[in-house]
Amino acid sequence: MPLLPFILLLAWFVSLTAGCARQDENAGSPTSGNVLHLFNWNNYIAPETVARFEKFCNCRLSQDYYSDNEEMLAKLAAGATGYDLIVPTGNAVDTLIRQGALMPLDKSLLPDLGNINPAYLDTPFDPGNRYSVPYAYTLTLLGFNQEKIKELDLPVDTWAIIFEPKYLKKIKGRVTVLDSQRELMAAALKYLGYSVNDADEEHWKQATDLIVRAKPYWAAFSNTSYIKELAVGNLWVAHGYSNDMFQAALDAKNTGRKFTIGYSMPKEGTVLSLDSMVLHKSGSRPDLAHQFINFMLDGKNSAELTNLIGSGNPNLDAMQYIRPEIAENKAIFPDAESLSRLEMLRDLDRKQRRLLSRLWTEIKLR
Amino acid sequence: MSRGTQWLWPAAALVYAFLYIPLAIVVIYSFNDSRLNAEWAGFTLSWYKALFNNTEMLTAARNSLVIALSASFSATVLGTMAGLAIHRYKLKVLPVLVFTPVAMPEILLGVSLLLFFLQVLNLTLGMISIIIAHTTFCIGFVAIIVRARLQGMDESIFEAARDLGASPWQTFRLVTLPLIMPAVVAGALMSFTLSIDDFVITFFTKGVGEPILPIQIYTMIKVAVTPEVNAISTLLMLLTLIMIIIAAKIEARAAAGTGAVSRNEAGQ
Amino acid sequence: MMQAFSLMIKTAPRRNTNENRIARFLVSGPPMLFLVVFFAAPSLIMILTSFRFPGEFGGLAPIAAPGEAAHGEYGLTAEAYQFFFSDIIYAEIFLKSFGVASATTLICLIMAYPLALLIARSEKRFRNFLVLLVVLPFASNFLIRIYAWMIILGPESALSHFINATLGAFGIAPVTLLFSPFAVLVGMVYVHLPFMVLPLYTNLEKHDPSLLDAAQDLGATAWQRFWRVTWPLSLPGVFSGSALVFIPVLGMFAVPDILGGTGDILIGNLIKDQFLGTRDWPFGSALSIMLTLAVLSVAGLATWFARSAIGQRT
Repeated sequence: MPLLPFILLLAWFVSLTAGCARQDENAGSPTSGNVLHLFNWNNYIAPETVARFEKFCNCRLSQDYYSDNEEMLAKLAAGATGYDLIVPTGNAVDTLIRQGALMPLDKSLLPDLGNINPAYLDTPFDPGNRYSVPYAYTLTLLGFNQEKIKELDLPVDTWAIIFEPKYLKKIKGRVTVLDSQRELMAAALKYLGYSVNDADEEHWKQATDLIVRAKPYWAAFSNTSYIKELAVGNLWVAHGYSNDMFQAALDAKNTGRKFTIGYSMPKEGTVLSLDSMVLHKSGSRPDLAHQFINFMLDGKNSAELTNLIGSGNPNLDAMQYIRPEIAENKAIFPDAESLSRLEMLRDLDRKQRRLLSRLWTEIKLR
Repeated sequence: MSRGTQWLWPAAALVYAFLYIPLAIVVIYSFNDSRLNAEWAGFTLSWYKALFNNTEMLTAARNSLVIALSASFSATVLGTMAGLAIHRYKLKVLPVLVFTPVAMPEILLGVSLLLFFLQVLNLTLGMISIIIAHTTFCIGFVAIIVRARLQGMDESIFEAARDLGASPWQTFRLVTLPLIMPAVVAGALMSFTLSIDDFVITFFTKGVGEPILPIQIYTMIKVAVTPEVNAISTLLMLLTLIMIIIAAKIEARAAAGTGAVSRNEAGQ
Repeated sequence: MMQAFSLMIKTAPRRNTNENRIARFLVSGPPMLFLVVFFAAPSLIMILTSFRFPGEFGGLAPIAAPGEAAHGEYGLTAEAYQFFFSDIIYAEIFLKSFGVASATTLICLIMAYPLALLIARSEKRFRNFLVLLVVLPFASNFLIRIYAWMIILGPESALSHFINATLGAFGIAPVTLLFSPFAVLVGMVYVHLPFMVLPLYTNLEKHDPSLLDAAQDLGATAWQRFWRVTWPLSLPGVFSGSALVFIPVLGMFAVPDILGGTGDILIGNLIKDQFLGTRDWPFGSALSIMLTLAVLSVAGLATWFARSAIGQRT
């Protein structure tokens, strides 16, 4: 059967070249045409917006997703190239700028930049917005089952509800916290009266002890499943993000539950996660990228995401297009007073990251 | 059946049940007309339909197939050579290099290849990196299978060929290769299955942008479990079942055929 | 007659002609080259990485001093290892992983032995089929096998309801089966069971039934026949199977990741987190090196035990 080896050899050759070709295609080589490569969070752009943009720029929007800043940074560090536009959160923008991985913006191509609320411009990690334009933001806060909370007479405007045993014992097994080193540490630090960016080892140890003391009462560490669990009534309190709580409240209402989901910002303060659009230096179409940014600076486009998922919107022009019940929600659009209690996370240096990793291992294991 | 095996049957049956019931549940619920894998709500093929409309899943399947074909071919060629070499020649280094990846925890292979690709080769992770990684750990499996078959053979036939004046290449092409062909095919099928199935090493060496099947399944399991996962699982099980049956048939035909000269039969 | 012939051929001197030397080079060369480049070299790189500083914001710091003033340290260091030994928690995770691996191996042994024994003692024509039945689940995708247990142990499943109802009857609070150490153990056993069955079977199949006959004739009970004849002879199979289960379990992270609760992390999860979470490659590499050493010691111990156990019997 001399034919068989030749067939196999052919199959192998074909599959190898197919592999190489696919790799090139995904890396955004010049042969791929009018394509903008966007690296974005899961579920962070409305499908209508995508369709409208593609018509507007006469191009194709190719999207890849991540669910975690660390995941995105790790992939970029692993040599992922070809992304024109990325939407990282503040501390990740911090890292990327310091790594020298971003292309400066050409402000002349962004005439609508003035639409952004000045409160969200000029961040500590990107003064003058040389590299980033705010896209959307979310607050880390507490979501809760309104009826249960009233029934048990618990305070929901403070972090104490997830850290103090006297409250926790009423909701044991019915509360979850975020499975995130930075976020949980930030909540504990805020409750103890420190800044979320406080890197004092002693303060971190206090925060760790606080967390370990409360841990036995928590049902789980959860980053996404708490949305469903709140909406079906299995969870009564959850530490999570404002747009996720918006989703949970909507789900509960749509499925006709006998309870409602509420969410509020703790009085001690919390983390503001501002996601911004940045240009990665390995992108091949900065022109299209700038077009996209300016497109999203138009209030009508930017409002679509807010109306869809309840994310905070730094675009003043968008306010007129946002549904009133969302626009008036203080937990999504904090007023000036609340804004003063919000902090953005800065990135940590390597020694701090290593220490935090060890404390996190202790938290998980004890 | 020999003596004293009565008690073995129930114990063994329990273990078989333990092995199969979970998989049966996955298959059954892939036809369940309900989002939850809890009660039976009626028969449906809608999850399979949803699967075929899921472009990301289809792309992942295509990518995994391409990778498995490439990797199994490379691993079979290199593994057969390795198996032959280890059996025939007294080598010190090659056996260690060939068999260690089989015994090591996969995470060590994945991590070391990731570091190597990034630091030394400066290779952008993608299909090529996965193909190389899969080939590396499959070589050992092929070598083991080929070597086992060679060990079961009577050496005299190779000596006879050489006495009759055949060059090493002729010996290989006309005598060795046909005799080890069932082992080579079994090795190829095993590599194919291992590659399609591999999770850990793929996890570390894949790039961004190309979906790969096991990673897709992992994401689906972690983020939102729908019965689509059951559907793709059932299809994958079917695929490997077919592969195994083909391998078994080839093995049976080779053993029954006149080509095999095993030491047992020759040394009557 | 054939035996005599082959014996004659075997004792004839091997011709070490040039042809043979070239053949040897051509046959062993390519796999050797491939594995040196893609297995040996990466392993060395991992060792090297464990002695470097992590980059300030990810990746690695350069080894050689750059021209201008560098930000952060560079060069080689044992810092990652010092970090490992500076806190007992890492030793705890290793101990925990060893514990899970031992438990998994033991349970696999208990479950696999009757099965292997049955297959080995059944009629020849059934054996291949029975072995195939064992291998078949193994051939399905690894994640699927774990996912199946997510369904079975989930809070909505029949099993959970049954167990909690039973516990409720005794006044005991309901337990969650999924996302627990129990689930991790079940998953580990399920994934590795065939690795224990096959080596055991291969060994048991070779036992001479007449030994058992002789023992019975001498008045040994079934238990004595097992304990003093079958078990000792099966030890090499037991050791191979145990090694094939113990070592992979040590490095596994997918099972705890999917089936485990948040405290159920093992050494594999920690390593993965260093690379894909904390961006601390040197520490991740150091952990991997420690894992490799652990695996090598286990393999070495197993080989030593096997040799001495077999040595005693002969």
